[in-house]
Amino acid sequence: MHRLVDVVRFGRGVFENVGAAWSQFWFQSSPTSPLEITRMGIGAALLLHYGLASPYLFDFWGDAGWMPRDLALTELSDPWMQSVFFYFKSPWQWIVFHAVFLIACAALMLGWRTSSVKWIVLIGQISYDYRNPILSYGVDKILACLLFILCVAPIGRAISLDRVRAVRAAKLKNLETIVLPYSSPWSGACIRLMQIQMALLFFYSAISKLKGDDWWSGDAVWIVFTTGEHYNRVILDVLASHYWLVNFATYGTLLIEIAFPFLIWQQRTRPYLLAAAIFIHVQFAVLMGLFYFSFVMIMGHMSFVRPEWLARLGSAWKRRIGEMEMIYDGKCGFCVRSMAWFLAFDGLRQIKIRNFRVNPSSIVTDAQVEKALYLTLPDGRALPGFEAYRYVVLRVPGLWWQVPFFYVPVLSRFFGRPIYNWIAANRSALSSKKTRVFRSLLRFR
Amino acid sequence: MSAPLEARSINEGRSNIASGRVVILARWRQRLTYLVMSGFLAWHTLAMVVAPAPDNSVLAQSVRPVFQPYLSLLRLDNTWDFFAPTVGKGSQLRYVIEDETGQRTTFVPAEELSWYHPAYFWFRSWYYSIIESPDAYADYAAAFFCRKHASLRPVSITLLEYQEGDFWADDQLSGKHPMDPEFVTVNTIKQAKCTGS
Repeated sequence: MHRLVDVVRFGRGVFENVGAAWSQFWFQSSPTSPLEITRMGIGAALLLHYGLASPYLFDFWGDAGWMPRDLALTELSDPWMQSVFFYFKSPWQWIVFHAVFLIACAALMLGWRTSSVKWIVLIGQISYDYRNPILSYGVDKILACLLFILCVAPIGRAISLDRVRAVRAAKLKNLETIVLPYSSPWSGACIRLMQIQMALLFFYSAISKLKGDDWWSGDAVWIVFTTGEHYNRVILDVLASHYWLVNFATYGTLLIEIAFPFLIWQQRTRPYLLAAAIFIHVQFAVLMGLFYFSFVMIMGHMSFVRPEWLARLGSAWKRRIGEMEMIYDGKCGFCVRSMAWFLAFDGLRQIKIRNFRVNPSSIVTDAQVEKALYLTLPDGRALPGFEAYRYVVLRVPGLWWQVPFFYVPVLSRFFGRPIYNWIAANRSALSSKKTRVFRSLLRFR
Repeated sequence: MSAPLEARSINEGRSNIASGRVVILARWRQRLTYLVMSGFLAWHTLAMVVAPAPDNSVLAQSVRPVFQPYLSLLRLDNTWDFFAPTVGKGSQLRYVIEDETGQRTTFVPAEELSWYHPAYFWFRSWYYSIIESPDAYADYAAAFFCRKHASLRPVSITLLEYQEGDFWADDQLSGKHPMDPEFVTVNTIKQAKCTGS
């Protein structure tokens, strides 16, 4: 009886330990930031790639193009290989789907309605691939794998318009509210899944190379550059004169691909392996013209970027830029709403705010702030209105998209200052007008 | 015990039971979520391992049928064998157009493409498909190229494969090119009439 109890106790202990190890491996709470970088990169790459394919829409994926529907169906061996293009009848359906797909790619890149658009992008990517299998190559295979992981992951919670909307909603209630960064065990699990995907990709790529004579003999890189697809006279001249470079590059590629899946997990070796993987993909892009493939691979590798590295980078940026304080009119509804919008883009929380009505500034007088919003800096400078915004947009990464508007030589200041001054002078009227519209909308509802 | 007090304690008891049930339900829900998540992670990881596994692996092939619909539907069935096991020799598609006067003009479509545009890879993929499966793709390609050069008033078209051979450092140093005649083998893929010209 005692033995049975001991066995049960032992089994339970083993089960608990395995469970703890499993949880530690998969379910460590993590922010989504590494996945968000992948999301933005993949969204941008897909948008550019398929945007440039638009003129060939019917040649590539149409029924009267390179790959008639019947031929495509014979190429696909499995009934589970499906494409929405198989169900289209009229040309407008191709055009509408392509347009929706491109919009979804743009939305994925920006993180707008991410939870829905990511599925449209995945369905689109798979549909384009299966409709014309001859067009797809390595990068399309990787894209489908990464996109599916992004689909199951809780992305759009950081560095996205969805995050901006969430922060803005909170700031509208109270500008001082701090919305903490999203972090969850499921996010950590999805990051891990993408890491495993990349490590497996390198592992299988390495062992399949080891089976080939070109790689064993150290000539593979030479042969790559002699093929018509990657021919480069200058590179071949250099390699032919210094053939040891061919061996070095061939064995170096093998070494990195073999080492990567084993050494990428350790804290000390990760930065080196990650740098090496990025390095070889930059080489593929520059020397072999594989820009799209290399960029997508690098985006996949972003899953190995530790959130702490990004946090440290953010802190270093904050320290370098220094403190910024915006002094605004808390009695003006329009100003508060504008501040809520503005602060929603300040993901690093670089900007401090001060409502001069309840907390007057020692640097700027109330009379000055009555006329315009002010930005004060640690060196004692105070920038009014347009100049304040102009200073901030260059120093807050979330506002960089506004830089073109604020930094066009001559024109930005020529138009920007009067526009700002007019808005500042009429802010009370704008506030009441907007409030009236808002109230009437509420009544209507 | 007075009646109101009794009622109050009954109510408290009921609310305690209700909150207890809520806690138990929440705990079970949490456990169930954890189990579902773990199941998915294990399943997907196995799928990622099985998909590129070699065809001659008995173990991988025994579990493959279970994963196949999942791998196919989500387009996860990939072998990660870039430039492997061997880099392989390239092939180039060329075509010769013969006009009404009998003049023959040779075109190298790959040379019209730029590395910096994705069309480079799309069109190259198509050219490879024409070379590898002429029965499936050559007719459409011939008609396509005839239409493209309609201004030449083409009568017929011949699709050719220029298969690359060995080209080594000494060849490069002696000023030769991988596409020089001594390094390539030319195969005729298809000859066709240009209709509508």
